[in-house]
This record gives sequence, C-alpha cells and structure tokens, in this order.
Amino acid sequence: MVTVKINGKEITVEDGTLILNAARDAGFEVPTFCYQADLIGIGSCRMCLVEIEGQKKLQPSCVTPVLHGMSINTESPTVVSARAGVLEFLLANHALDCPVCDKGGECELQDMVYRYGPHKGRHAEPKFKFHEKDYVLSPVIIKNSNRCVQCVKCVRVCREVVGANVLTSLNRGDHQEETSFLRSFLDCDQDGNCIEVCPVGCFMRLPYRYKTRPWDLKGADTVCPYCATGCRMVIEHRDGVVIRARAQLGVGLNSETLCARGRFGFDFINNPNRLTTPLVRKRGALEPASWEEAMGLIKKNFSVGGGKVGGIASPRLVNEELYLFQKLFRTVFNSPNIDSSSRWDPLAVESFVSAASMHEGGVSIFDCMASDTLLIIGSHLSDENPVTDYIVRRISANRRMNVIIASPRAMKLDSSATQLLRHLPGAEDSVLEAIILNLNYDKLPDETLKPVKDARLEALLSTAGALDKEIKAIARKLGASSTVAVIAGTDFLRAPQSIPALGLLKDLLRSRGKKVTVLPALDRCNQRGAWEMGVHPGFGPGYSRVDKKGLGCDGILAAAEQGELDALYIAGSDVASMYPDGEFAAKALSAVKFLVVQDIFLTETAKLAHVVLPGASFAEKEGIFTNQEGRAQIIRKLLPPPGKAKRDFDIIRAVGESFDPSFGPKNPVLVLDEIRKEAPMYGDVSLVFNNKKNIEDKLDNRAALVKGAQSAALKVSRIEPRADLGGAEQFPFRLVTGNHLFHSGMLSRMSSSMTGLLNAAVIEISEGDADALGLRNGDKVSVRGAACEAQMTLRTRKGSGKGMAFVAENFEDAPVARFFRRGKGAPRVAITKI
Amino acid sequence: MLTENEKKELQAALKKYPNRRSAVMDALRIVQNGRGGHIVKEDMLEIASILEMQPAEVNAAATFYTMYNVNKPVGKHHIQVCRNISCSLMGAEHIIKHLERTLDIKTGQTTPDKKFTLSTVECLGSCATAPMMQINDDYYENLTDQKVDEILKNLK
Ligand code: SF4
Ligand code: SF4
Ligand code: SF4
Ligand code: FES
Ligand code: FES
Repeated sequence: MVTVKINGKEITVEDGTLILNAARDAGFEVPTFCYQADLIGIGSCRMCLVEIEGQKKLQPSCVTPVLHGMSINTESPTVVSARAGVLEFLLANHALDCPVCDKGGECELQDMVYRYGPHKGRHAEPKFKFHEKDYVLSPVIIKNSNRCVQCVKCVRVCREVVGANVLTSLNRGDHQEETSFLRSFLDCDQDGNCIEVCPVGCFMRLPYRYKTRPWDLKGADTVCPYCATGCRMVIEHRDGVVIRARAQLGVGLNSETLCARGRFGFDFINNPNRLTTPLVRKRGALEPASWEEAMGLIKKNFSVGGGKVGGIASPRLVNEELYLFQKLFRTVFNSPNIDSSSRWDPLAVESFVSAASMHEGGVSIFDCMASDTLLIIGSHLSDENPVTDYIVRRISANRRMNVIIASPRAMKLDSSATQLLRHLPGAEDSVLEAIILNLNYDKLPDETLKPVKDARLEALLSTAGALDKEIKAIARKLGASSTVAVIAGTDFLRAPQSIPALGLLKDLLRSRGKKVTVLPALDRCNQRGAWEMGVHPGFGPGYSRVDKKGLGCDGILAAAEQGELDALYIAGSDVASMYPDGEFAAKALSAVKFLVVQDIFLTETAKLAHVVLPGASFAEKEGIFTNQEGRAQIIRKLLPPPGKAKRDFDIIRAVGESFDPSFGPKNPVLVLDEIRKEAPMYGDVSLVFNNKKNIEDKLDNRAALVKGAQSAALKVSRIEPRADLGGAEQFPFRLVTGNHLFHSGMLSRMSSSMTGLLNAAVIEISEGDADALGLRNGDKVSVRGAACEAQMTLRTRKGSGKGMAFVAENFEDAPVARFFRRGKGAPRVAITKI
Repeated sequence: MLTENEKKELQAALKKYPNRRSAVMDALRIVQNGRGGHIVKEDMLEIASILEMQPAEVNAAATFYTMYNVNKPVGKHHIQVCRNISCSLMGAEHIIKHLERTLDIKTGQTTPDKKFTLSTVECLGSCATAPMMQINDDYYENLTDQKVDEILKNLK
C-alpha cells in the first residue's frame, strides 16, 4: 500500500494505482479523453495532467502510478490553465458544428469545454479539414473526422477488445485521422464499439443519424435479447419508435461493449410485421379475431386431463413467464410434455446441465478468466457469444494464462490462444477422451495394459483428427494447472455423445484437487433461465425431480405426426424453422389437432396454427433473464405492446385462468416470490440494479449469480452417436451449423439493420478446400445434401479444418433444418459453383 | 504486384527481425523504390498479406512517415520542407513561399515536367540547422533564398 497526498488530502491505495484513480478515490474529478479502464493506457490526450510536488513538468495521471509520499495537486492554477490549453488545441481544428452533430448534448468535448475550457480560442490560422462531407464506413457506421480529439479509443477498442483490428491512425500530428484502410468501406464485425467509445461525434450510428436529440429520448435498462452472454444495455425510443441501443461504461459485465446484434439488432421491435391482434383459422385461413374468440377456442380444444397435450416455450421469454408456463402444463393440463428448445434432445440437455455442473450455481466469466488454464471447446465463441469473446481476449492479453481453443472452425479469438486444436467436427468426445487418457496414462495399474491404452489412444486421435503431441500438450497444461475453466458450447448439444467426456474430465481434474469451473456458452438469451424454471420434460424448477417425465420437443412432434397429439401450445418458438429436419417438423405440426402459437411475428410455425396469439417483445415487458453464467438480470419495460398484443405473462396466465380461475400467481412479482421458493437457486439472488457509472473495471456483480440447487435430479446419460447420413464420396463436406455473427435464431431476421448487414445465406469452408475445388470467396454456389439443395454465397476462412462446411441456422432461403433428417447425425453436402 | 526480385529482397529483410510485421518499413521502402517513388493501395494489400498484418496497419505506417508517398506520385526530385516549430521560427514559411514561386506550383503539387514535387513535413530532426529541407535522400540545411536557388539550379 502507498500513502499519497492529493490536494492535501491523505489517501492510502494499492501499489501501482494510477494517480488518476487515486484522485478519483479521494473524491477529486480529473477529466480524461484517452483513458479507459479496460484499454491499455497511452497517455496521449493530456487532459488528465496533474502537478506533482517536486516535479517541474505536469504529468499525465492516467499513466503515472502513485509513489509513496507523493503530493499531488489536481486543481493548481498550472493544472487548470494546462487543461484549458489542451482544450484550446483540441478546438483549433475542430469543426464546431454541434448544432448538426448527432453527439450534441451528450458530447464529452462539449462538457469539458463548458467546464474547463477557454471560452475563446486564439488560433487565427484557417482550420484544417479532413474532408467536406461525412463518409459512410459501413451499413451501420458513418464518420466525421473533423470533430476528432485523437484519443484513439476507437482504434484501441477495435484492436484490444474486439480483436478485429481494422481501424488505425493514418497520418500524424494534427492530420492524424482514426479511420479504416484508405477510409474504405469496413468489412468488419460491425459491432459499433468504435462508436460507443468515441467521446465526440466522429464515429456515429448510421441508422440513428439525424433522427433525434439525445434529450428527446426515453430509455429503459434492459438486457440484450440475443445470445446468452447477457449484455446489459439501454434501449431508447422517441415517439414509440426504438432508435438506439447503447451500452454504458462500467455497467454490466459488458461495460461499454456490445456486438452487432445487441447494438443494432433491436429494430425488430418496431417492425411493421409485428402481430398486433389474435388470429384464428377460419375456412383454412388465419383471420383477425378478438381475444375472447381466441381464448374461447383454446378453452374448447385444450382438454384438461385425458387428452395428450404439449407445450414448447421459447428461451427468449423471461423467467416469470417460463415458470408460469411449466406450471400451467404441470398443474392445469396435468401434462409433463414441455420443452424449451426445438433443437436439443431433452436427455442431452439434462446430461449437459449435469456435466457442466450448472446445478452447482452460477459461474462468473471473470472467475474463469482468473484461472491458470481456460479451455474453449464446442463453441465458435467469436460468432456465437461475441462479447464473451471480447472478455476472453481483453483479460487474457493482460495476464499469464493458457488459453486453449479446440474447434473445427477457425475463429477471431484464435489469435488469443496459446494453443489451438483443429479437430474434426462433432469429435469433441474423442478429443476429451484422448486428453483424459493422457492425464491417466501414468496411473496405469499394470504395465500390460499399456498396449491396450495405446491402441485406444490411437483410435481416438484418428476420430478426433488430432495429433498426439497436440493432445499431450493440452493434457500437460491441464495437469500443471491448479485452476481450470472450461467454456463448453452448444456443439455438445448438437453432438451429445460428447457430453459424458466433458463431465468425466471435470470430475477427473477435480479429483486431483484442482478447482474446475465450467461455463456453458449458450446461444439464446434465457436458455439457462428456461431450464432453471423447469421448462424441460425431465426436471422441474431448480432442476428438481419431477414425478412424471414427459416428452420433449422431438417426442411431441413424433406424437403429433402419429396423429396422437390433441393440442400443442407453442410460446415464442419457431419450431418449424429450427427443428433439425424441417420437413418432418412441418408435417408433424400440421398434424396437431389444435395448435396454438403465441409469438411476435407470423413465423413459419405460426402460419400452421389454429390460433395465433400476439405476444410482447423484450422491450414491452419486465422480468428476469438468466444468462449463461447464471447471472439473473432484470429487463425493464420501455413501451406498451403494439395494438392488441399482450405481455406473454398475461397471456399464459389468462390461458390458465380460463381452466382454473385460481391459476396464478397473478403478477410477475408474486411469481418471482414463488420462484425463489420453488427454485432455491434463486432464493437470495440479488436483482439490485447497479447502474452507477463504474469508471474502474469492477464489472462482476456476484450477488446476481444463482446459487447451487439443493436437490438436483440430474444424471449424465450415455447417448449413442447418431448414424451419419452417409454418402461421403458423393457429399464431401460435413455440415456444421450455428449462429452467424450478425444473426441469432430467426429473431434477428426481423431486424432491418441486421438483414442490411447480411441478408442471404453464406456457406463457409476453409481456404484450402476452396482452392482444391477452384472456388473463390464470393462465388455463388449450390449446396446439395441428401435431403435438400440451396444456393448460397461462398466464404472462405483461413485456418479452418478440412472437409467441413459451415452454414448458419438463420436463413430461410437456405433452411439448414431441411438438410437434417430426424434421428440421423449431421448431414453431408456437396458444393458446386453455379 | 511485387516482382520476384522485390519479394527476394523482402525475404532477406525479414531475416533481420524477430517477427514478420517488423519488416513493414523495409517492405514499404522496397515497393516505393520499385514504383518510382510512391505506393498504391494494391501494394499495401500485398504487403499486409505477406507480413500477416491488417491492411490498415500497413496504411498507418505508410502515412505516419513522410518518406513514403501513398497514392501520390512524385517528381524526380521530391522536396520536403520541414514546417515544424524550429524551422517555422527560422523562416520555413518564407522558404516554402519562395519554392512555390520559383517552381510555380503549390505545396503538394508536381511541376508539369514531373521534375519537382513540393511537400511540407514535420520535424526531420535537424532543428539545429533550421530552416531545412530534404530532397530525395539528402538534407539541405540553414536555408536562404539564394541557397535554395542554387540547390535547384544544380538539380536541373
Ligand atoms: S464496428 Fe467493431 S470491428 Fe468494426 S471498426 Fe468498429 S470496433 Fe472495429
Ligand atoms: S474518432 Fe473518436 S474515438 Fe477515435 S480518436 Fe477520434 S475522438 Fe477518439
Ligand atoms: S448477442 Fe450476446 S454478445 Fe451480442 S450484445 Fe447480445 S448478449 Fe452481448
Ligand atoms: S487521459 Fe491521460 S493523457 Fe489522455
Ligand atoms: S523543426 Fe524542422 S527539423 Fe526539427
């Protein structure tokens, strides 16, 4: 600890604390432009100059650590005039066009000049102009360099946090311009973090341009509705139209960062195609109807007891709704047939939850990043959970740790890895088993077993497509670590035969006295919440035991196809688009005797319904999302649901009440009380909303993590790998699926910003495979599988594995689900140029 | 496209550095020399791919140093006059005006016969002999109008 005096006030801080932070701790404000807690300090803007007794020159407090006995003055006349001087220089070439600047009213330069600046400049020279007109950098970014204060935060966030590294400083001195390669159009992650960190109106949102003044906006604190990273953000509307989503420095685990989906994908809220009235099927067609009529039909066709009914709820609903949904089925309809995912097998989910120890409670990503070794497997983290990728990149760059990435596809985060393993798709089990075998190798009870193990290892290496030395290196690092974190993604659910090996590795490492945490990387904002609320046929709220196990999505569809399902209630899931075997799903859903679909759009599933109920988007309700870490976070309501649409909570409650007037609890607050009781994991989870601007980097709100479940009824089942669809000669590429960086399920398809970034399906293969086929990036290709054929644009990726083709799940013109066949493994495809 | 010889020269330069990206200045120099004094977009893209850097990073290096001319063809003699503080105090503005008058071009332009290009640059580290300018690889110091005239005459 070091004791220093700041403006005469004594304060004791940790060694190495920056003068800036010591001063802030002592209660003195020091203005900054280029400093940001999560970026590497560059001390370039000179706004934060302070006077240190005994030193002739002023020092930048954002890069100077305190030394014992220092006496620092942050308000001396020299400091005050230096600040004014810095601002005078910043304004020397500044455009001073606040009246037409989008940033006006929330601009840090405005605020600083107002507070510290000279109110008159002395520069007589003509101003230097970078350009006349603002220039468009991407479908979502527009740039005006004439307002720049050269803090370089945009470049640094793009390099250090996003890892795209497509921005730079061109030229130097007062001609220094932060921009792209030759100011050209950006082919980048389009996350707009450069916009968010820019203190002035240089980097700006294109969709937001000239739409409003910041003081005319009304906002609500919320959580991004796309992936399960759980980024906190504020959405803002003017006259009922949501026009901006922004992240806040120091708020939420994401601080100022978001990915493209979070920052620009909110505009589905005001999509004119939102459902605004109930629809009922009359003479074959869906027609607008009143709520009474729709509810009347539900009451008539849903039998309470006797008939076979099922329910599927979306992992994008809030916990209160999900809880009520399962309660509706379990207590009112007396049916255990409920599920929350159309893609995953319920047995796989139960095994995954158990293998990943989700029932043991929340795991903070920041704890994972404090471990000796981080293993990322089964997830294309950079595209699936972009902000998780940022956190891994940023923190791993600043500490000594092993980052091991095992993935068939190359990803942006590879550059942060200390070791990469390119294995074959769906072979996570072989990879993990080979690691386990290596860890156990020396513990052989008997020398004669050695050849057996060697043979097994060899077989595993060949199915994994990995080299012996690669696996050995990973085993060695895991063995030498005392804390290990594993980020395990949804590929485990796609290839569930891999799940037991995940649990085994965790148990083995734990048995050696290591601290092991597993962070599930999930792709739907409230998938974890849906499971923890018990929307699963095999476990109840808090992973509790249920008396009667039921059918999951797959079983429900199978029953429907046989004509055995009397009624099905789907809330928010687009089963027809997402179930892996689109043809089967459509057939099964059409065979349901009575199908109710509650959604915000007329999805492929809703089109098959007998009754369609208009629900609310995340902007139109309050409730809790539980992110992948197990962090319970509140979303707040910004707008009323459009037209006659209702909160999903109210719809589910009304459905229940029409059968049993006492069904409840009647409002979300009471439901939360019940959740706290029924799912003790949520018993004392704190939902306190810390919205204080946290300038330091303390983003981990641990009180929001759910606790361990007391009596989890889970087990890991051995799930046989599904037989391949076959045809390796005819179809040389194995299909790999997941979300595109700009899309998430089908929801993002309703955002015009997101479809503006990417509207048509792309297929991605490795550069090497493309060369071998004589194909090039951007070619139009035909993708043919045993079950389906579609046209797409080819993308090549350097460093990806051979014989594998990735197609995102998000495009209706290339419905990935249609390449799959129920009960069969991942399909194979052939790619030919059109 | 880099010629085979240029590629060879770059490979040789790479040996001097612990990592590839460190060779960016060599690469830019090699390319610029081979292009008659300037660098274009395609060169930067190619350098980026050879050195495994982002094109923007190559662009940054190429524009940070005034010795590289990005997208700016220059004449046979590239005159770069320092306009930084020491030189300005010692009359750089005057020297620039004088050059503009004598060559009948504005700063940033090239004479129609493609002989001279006039640019201004930041401090060239020769403040003690201000005002000064650099023509191609040589420094000319303690400038006066007469001295400038003489230098130009000798270059013709
Ligand atoms: S949007 Fe993201 S990737 Fe693109 S330039 Fe900005 S920070 Fe970099
Ligand atoms: S563009 Fe914005 S963030 Fe980038 S250097 Fe200029 S002021 Fe800073
Ligand atoms: S999609 Fe995921 S990573 Fe992107 S902003 Fe939303 S929660 Fe964060
Ligand atoms: S904030 Fe310290 S130099 Fe910019
Ligand atoms: S100021 Fe001209 S050489 Fe330094």
